Amino acid sequence: MPVKSKVRTHRAVSPWLFLLPGLAIVAAFSLYPFLTTLGKAFTDARTLAPGRWTGLENFRDMLQDEQFWVALRNSALYVVLVVPFTVLLPLLLALLVQKQLPGVAFFRSAFYTPVVASVVVVALIWVWMLDDRGLVNGLLQLFGAGPVDFLGSSWLLLFSAMALTVWKGLGYYMVVYLAALANVPRELHEAAAVDGAGALRRFVSITVPAVRPTMVLVGALSSVAAFKVFSEVYLMAGPTGGPAGQDTTLVMLVQRTGTGLNGRTGYSSALSLVVFAVTLVLMLLVLRADRREERV
Amino acid sequence: MSASRRAVPAAAVLLASALMLAACGSGGGGGGSDADGKVAGSITFQTWNLRANFKGYFDGLVKEFEQAHPGVTVRWLDRPAENYAEKLGADAAGGTLPDVVNVSPDLAYPLAKAGLLVDLDREKTSAAFKGEYTPEAWKGNELPGLGGTYAFPWYLNTGPLFYNKELFQRAGLDPGKPPKSYAELFDCADRISRQSDGRIATLASSPTIEDFGRYGVRLTDDDATAFTYNEPKGVELLTRYRELYRNGGLDPQALNSTPERAGQKFLEQKVAINPGSAHDLGTFKQNAPSLYRNLGITDAPNNTGKPNMYVMGLAVGQHSKHKAAAIAFAHFVTDRKNQEEFAHKVAVFPSTKGSLEDPYWTRDDGTDEGRVRVASAKMLKGAVNYTPVVMSDEMKTILKNEVAKALQGKKSPQQALDDAVAQSNKLLKQS
Repeated sequence: MPVKSKVRTHRAVSPWLFLLPGLAIVAAFSLYPFLTTLGKAFTDARTLAPGRWTGLENFRDMLQDEQFWVALRNSALYVVLVVPFTVLLPLLLALLVQKQLPGVAFFRSAFYTPVVASVVVVALIWVWMLDDRGLVNGLLQLFGAGPVDFLGSSWLLLFSAMALTVWKGLGYYMVVYLAALANVPRELHEAAAVDGAGALRRFVSITVPAVRPTMVLVGALSSVAAFKVFSEVYLMAGPTGGPAGQDTTLVMLVQRTGTGLNGRTGYSSALSLVVFAVTLVLMLLVLRADRREERV
Repeated sequence: MSASRRAVPAAAVLLASALMLAACGSGGGGGGSDADGKVAGSITFQTWNLRANFKGYFDGLVKEFEQAHPGVTVRWLDRPAENYAEKLGADAAGGTLPDVVNVSPDLAYPLAKAGLLVDLDREKTSAAFKGEYTPEAWKGNELPGLGGTYAFPWYLNTGPLFYNKELFQRAGLDPGKPPKSYAELFDCADRISRQSDGRIATLASSPTIEDFGRYGVRLTDDDATAFTYNEPKGVELLTRYRELYRNGGLDPQALNSTPERAGQKFLEQKVAINPGSAHDLGTFKQNAPSLYRNLGITDAPNNTGKPNMYVMGLAVGQHSKHKAAAIAFAHFVTDRKNQEEFAHKVAVFPSTKGSLEDPYWTRDDGTDEGRVRVASAKMLKGAVNYTPVVMSDEMKTILKNEVAKALQGKKSPQQALDDAVAQSNKLLKQS
């Protein structure tokens, strides 16, 4: 084979060889399950039975399923209430620990610790703290308030789980913002300060525009994560999804209906497709909003 | 390079991956072997969360069986308690169900229905062992609508009810007279709640299907094709529980409580009564000595005279390649000698005929463990497994959530039970 042709062949094949392990993993753990889910969503498959084609039956059932609407409401609420906090609070935290002050490394590590802590352990600690005779109620009672039934009320349980999600994610997004803040030219701040801009003005007019792409990224990541929330709510509200199932989220419903020996894998797959579709729409909305901002 | 030429390697990679995956998923199949054949071959034996405490016992058991049957090797697998059903489901769907597997009747039911377990009544070799077990235990593994027995009876359990004598005393109740019926339980709860100004609840969990059973509610029709717990007696029980909840006799967090959380509440002496097992005694002794000193032990309230019994069994996979060896091993683990030996190591009860007549289970040795053991063994006579085998976890969640709606006053007890039954029957029909 001529050298030129050999080089051309190598050039064509080599990248694919490098990509092969990664592609195989994606195919095995993402593509194949996705295609299986897609296929099952239109059947009445169960854990131990492959099922038969039922067309849109699962989706029709879903519309009449009271639990589905509760779960959709909770997952949507999670996005609406959690995302603003996970976009803004870590940015403020990053600004606090950005400066090279003595002891700042301790605070950076402290803020990051919840990220590496096991969600199970953290959720158990929160449950103990929020119990009717727990730390939080103890403190409230010191000030003559409470006790508040955080774990017995479906709304308070959901808000408590949201607070846990925000608290646990702060450190991770803080690190993302720290990297972005390092790229904001110091001269801009100095020039603005010389022109008489205060800290708030500099934050709004310099910092925010400079880290806006990162804010979009954090918004996109956290909205997808919030919509797919499972662990925090499951661990705090219990497997029934809180009192009368009122704290059930969509992913909890997928788990509840699709697992076990009697699992309705067909119905559960249809629910998963809905989660996927909403997640996709969320991502597109965030990206579109970003593009519009850029044009402006 | 043109687009089509670029696409060729990509398609090849995807195709190769797909083929690899297809190969991964092609387990299962196989029609199994002859149950009357030679006891030989390599088999797998799966238990349910037993390795941590009983490794020595099971290693010895496997060794003894292998020595007695030189042609057999047994590989012991143990799975954690959490998500055991999910693991079984994955094994069954993938065609890798172990040859001998530890199941309760509700887990055996879907597997047997899918044709994945050996009907022990139909196989001559296994049916011959039927007489070694108590009729109640053998019957406990019969599955409605399937016409057969799908697991060798293994150990039985019937949980005692623990109560806090100190809290009883403070409410002016006689600590020596715990409630025996549901009517007594509700009276007792009302009193404890009133005397403590609503600070102490009596129970930490909402009623389960076993409560409906013990109250005397008919849970399903005769052939278990429909749930019937929305009958007037069921509504009556839920109405009483609703009053209990309103009066503070039921812990506010009972609506979504788990057994672990309920146990924790009892440990912290926030509730007066909680079901448990002899295992809990050690926990009380170590973590709550003041509770342990005031611990009362009694039977769960019952209106039927028939206590609840939990049944464990060993099933044999229908597609086992060494069915004869699997049946022989399952019988070996559950024979009288081995069951009694196991029941001496852990607070469970053997299901083999005559075992419970042994003084170990009839004479109180003066210890708390002995008291629980003897009381529980006595309860086993005439005990029944109230959990309908057709009731899946999803159906249990439906019941718990509808019960919660009734307790919160969002639905009437009748409406809540009607809805729970309607949803569960719909699922039952689909299964």
